Amino acid sequence: MDEDLASFAVERASKLGTDYVDCRLEDHYNELIIVTDGKVQRGIINRKHGIGIRTLVDGAWGFQSTTDLTKKGLNQAVKLAFKMAKASSKHVPEPVKLASTEAQKTSYKTEVKIDLENIAFEDKLKQITNWEKRLHTSKKIIRGLVEYAGLKIDKIFVNNEGANIHFSNSLTWLSLKADSKKGSTTQSCEKVIGHSGGYEIYKKNDMEKTALDVGNKAETLSNAKAAKTMKDATVILDNNYAALLVHEIIGHPSEADRVLGREAAWAGTTWWAGKTGEKIGSDYLTAYDDPTIKGTLGYYRYDDEGVKAEKKILIENGVLKGHMHSRETAAIFNVNPNAGMRAITFEYIPLIRMSNTFFGKGNWKKEELIEETKRGYLVSCMRHPSIDDKRHNWTISAQEAYEIKNGELTSHLRDIALTSTAPKFFQSINAVTKTIDILPLPGCGKGDPMQALYVGNGGPYIRGAATILGVN
Amino acid sequence: MSSIMADLKEAGKTILKIAEKKGHDEAEAYLVSNKVLTIRLVNNAVFESKGVHDIGVGLRIIRGNMLGFSSTAGLTRKSLNKLVDAVASTAKARKLPFKYSFPKPRKIPKVTGIYDRKLDELPSEKAVELAYNMIESSIAHNKKIMDNAGVLNIVSYESLVLNSHGVSAENKGTFFEASLSATAKQGKNVSEGSEATAGRNLEELKSKNMGKKAAEMAVTGLKSQKLKEDTYDVIFDYQPTQGVISYLSYMVSPMIAKLYFPLFLDKINKKVASSQLTMIDDPLMAKGVGSAPVDDEGTPSEKQIIINEGILKKFVYDSFYGTIDKKKTTGNAIRESFAVGVSSFPGKNYNGEPIPFPRNPYIKPGKWKRNEILEDTKKGLLIRRFHYTRMTNPTRGDFTSVLRMGLYTVKNGEVTCTLKKSRLLDNLLNVLKNVNAVSDKLIVAGSWGDYTHTPVIRTKAHITPID
Repeated sequence: MDEDLASFAVERASKLGTDYVDCRLEDHYNELIIVTDGKVQRGIINRKHGIGIRTLVDGAWGFQSTTDLTKKGLNQAVKLAFKMAKASSKHVPEPVKLASTEAQKTSYKTEVKIDLENIAFEDKLKQITNWEKRLHTSKKIIRGLVEYAGLKIDKIFVNNEGANIHFSNSLTWLSLKADSKKGSTTQSCEKVIGHSGGYEIYKKNDMEKTALDVGNKAETLSNAKAAKTMKDATVILDNNYAALLVHEIIGHPSEADRVLGREAAWAGTTWWAGKTGEKIGSDYLTAYDDPTIKGTLGYYRYDDEGVKAEKKILIENGVLKGHMHSRETAAIFNVNPNAGMRAITFEYIPLIRMSNTFFGKGNWKKEELIEETKRGYLVSCMRHPSIDDKRHNWTISAQEAYEIKNGELTSHLRDIALTSTAPKFFQSINAVTKTIDILPLPGCGKGDPMQALYVGNGGPYIRGAATILGVN
Repeated sequence: MSSIMADLKEAGKTILKIAEKKGHDEAEAYLVSNKVLTIRLVNNAVFESKGVHDIGVGLRIIRGNMLGFSSTAGLTRKSLNKLVDAVASTAKARKLPFKYSFPKPRKIPKVTGIYDRKLDELPSEKAVELAYNMIESSIAHNKKIMDNAGVLNIVSYESLVLNSHGVSAENKGTFFEASLSATAKQGKNVSEGSEATAGRNLEELKSKNMGKKAAEMAVTGLKSQKLKEDTYDVIFDYQPTQGVISYLSYMVSPMIAKLYFPLFLDKINKKVASSQLTMIDDPLMAKGVGSAPVDDEGTPSEKQIIINEGILKKFVYDSFYGTIDKKKTTGNAIRESFAVGVSSFPGKNYNGEPIPFPRNPYIKPGKWKRNEILEDTKKGLLIRRFHYTRMTNPTRGDFTSVLRMGLYTVKNGEVTCTLKKSRLLDNLLNVLKNVNAVSDKLIVAGSWGDYTHTPVIRTKAHITPID
């Protein structure tokens, strides 16, 4: 990529009189393969390059992106970005202020052992078709589905404060899903494997075995009993289910723009606005957002405002400690910016997003947690969420559960969902295991137009209380 | 012909020539220029104005029994050459077990009211003023309105399909999507209201009226009562009914049904809804939010009945899925990328292969006036907004939605009181089978980039209060 193009755009915008300007010049490579029941549904390579120009004029934001990287195209985009900020500024009562940050000049790369483009597309498709085949462990499997995605992003960030950051990122993600049927009961099991890195992750994992396990599990589930509704049951959440829970009821409400009511139109707000420093959960509740963990989908060292990434403490021992910030919200909250801004491509203005959000660990072993539970449920593997606009009331379905009686796993259960409110569940947490797993979540939605971004979520096993919604 | 369309045509012809030289049997170029202007409103102010201009091309080729697809931004000779190389590598990988060919040229119908020069050429300053009008009118409606947030998206696009069989189909359109959420406060009580719509022409954007409507809903929610958990007769107003149409659309796409929402897969010619419910797809509708003369493969649009009086009559097809299921294309190709990290703006996207999907779906209007449905309801609920609607079990149809605002008790034909936030927990098939009234008028409703023409329906659903 020609770094001079970004510098040129910054220079032109500065000459027009912008208070602040930044540019993201990006080159994207995306590949996608979807196979179901032996048939290839999608086999795609997308390439995209362009620039996003963000301006601050008279205290208001303007933004324009273009795929036309000629000087003429850049000039036009700069003018539009300036014009739009100017138009907005008439209706901005409080001019935007940015918290200061050190202008970084650096270049870094995600560690990649096997470049995505160094494995022939044809070979990938053959492998993926083979893994899909392995999902069909018996005739009870009525559908297998494998979705694979690979991304390479080359990004240059430049602003008029002197920042110049070059990031070469590579991400890959794969989902294996099997549906089984027994009589009128249809069940599904899904496993997702992904990381920031190259194709090596699928060499490291025994994918054939993983696919067989998913197929077998879907089959086993069709023999499980339907869960029955029960109020305030003791539940142990595995780290896969906890990943979706932390995403929905801690990650999203920790976005400072949401705390300020800026996402009220569609996504909503947050119930804990103004409660920073207050106790909102038991001592066992701790949560972080950390973009610096290598190998995760949420990995980066500098965000899309050029701010150096750091581990953010969101909740510590039940006390709400802080939020994820942009430079603008950091100025409003009078805190240091903590690198929360990202956009999926140069075409979008950055938003405050999760990176890797996860529950903190405790002292328990998983086995101890089960052994010391007289009556409860081990709830495993996320399925679908539905959360209210304040991230207060939540309902999340799970793939499966086991009933626990006197410290032992007994009946295998299907068709289970949990519901509670965030504060009630947070207060109920009374044990947390010592091992954390961070899982890939590739499609976190936010913004208008919507930006579906890749993040990491996870945590340990967590014991608390929630209402079980049986669906039969 | 616009200068943009001339550029698209020239690039399209170049690509077809390169593909032919490379020895591919068939090639199809889908070229797009898509402009989106977004004015985002937060905390009673204009938060940001942002623009996107995306030009690019998606290329499909057939070589023997192999099918390939790739896309690229920009129309430079260098990017087009790279594109043809990439598409060859995807084709090598994808061998089809059947014979497939791109659509042949057919006569293209005319559709009116889908392009508006005034909307296309609207200056950003004017767009900002129109968006801000929503806030002003909301605040002016009632002193209890404390906050407003919303968005105005203005989209203008031109697209072109060229293929080796001689298909040359142009498409040009404009549309807007506008929404506002208003928050009212009185003492400790806080309540929300919202309004959202879309349209093809500037004159359809009544931004002042939208602000007023959002504010009205917010203020009525200030005095609300807790709902008692039960299965109720429920009137789904326009926006919740649009949510139902949205799920129906997923389920009648053979591709989406096979991959994610299989509820209707074995239900052709079977009853899937009450006889009151007929679902139509009509991309020829004048001013239709999804209308266009051709689909995204250049196949002429046609009106079709998908569910007739509760019986599922057909799935909708593009040429590829039509070939798989031994059906003809119904002109229902849309382009959407499923790839992670790929943009998907309102308007036209060139970075996805065609997928079959209803393009301008709606539930056929019934005989009831909206008021008559209310008057005929002895004891039930009026639901005006769905929020965060999800299938918790897509294979069974279990679904849930947060009733965040606009929930009312109906007694003896009258709206009697507003209810606090609640949750719908039911099965979509049950909801469809219990439809017992459909209103006589369609309006455009929806949320978050998903808008259709829709009536009001009455059905039954299980509703529970939430804390």
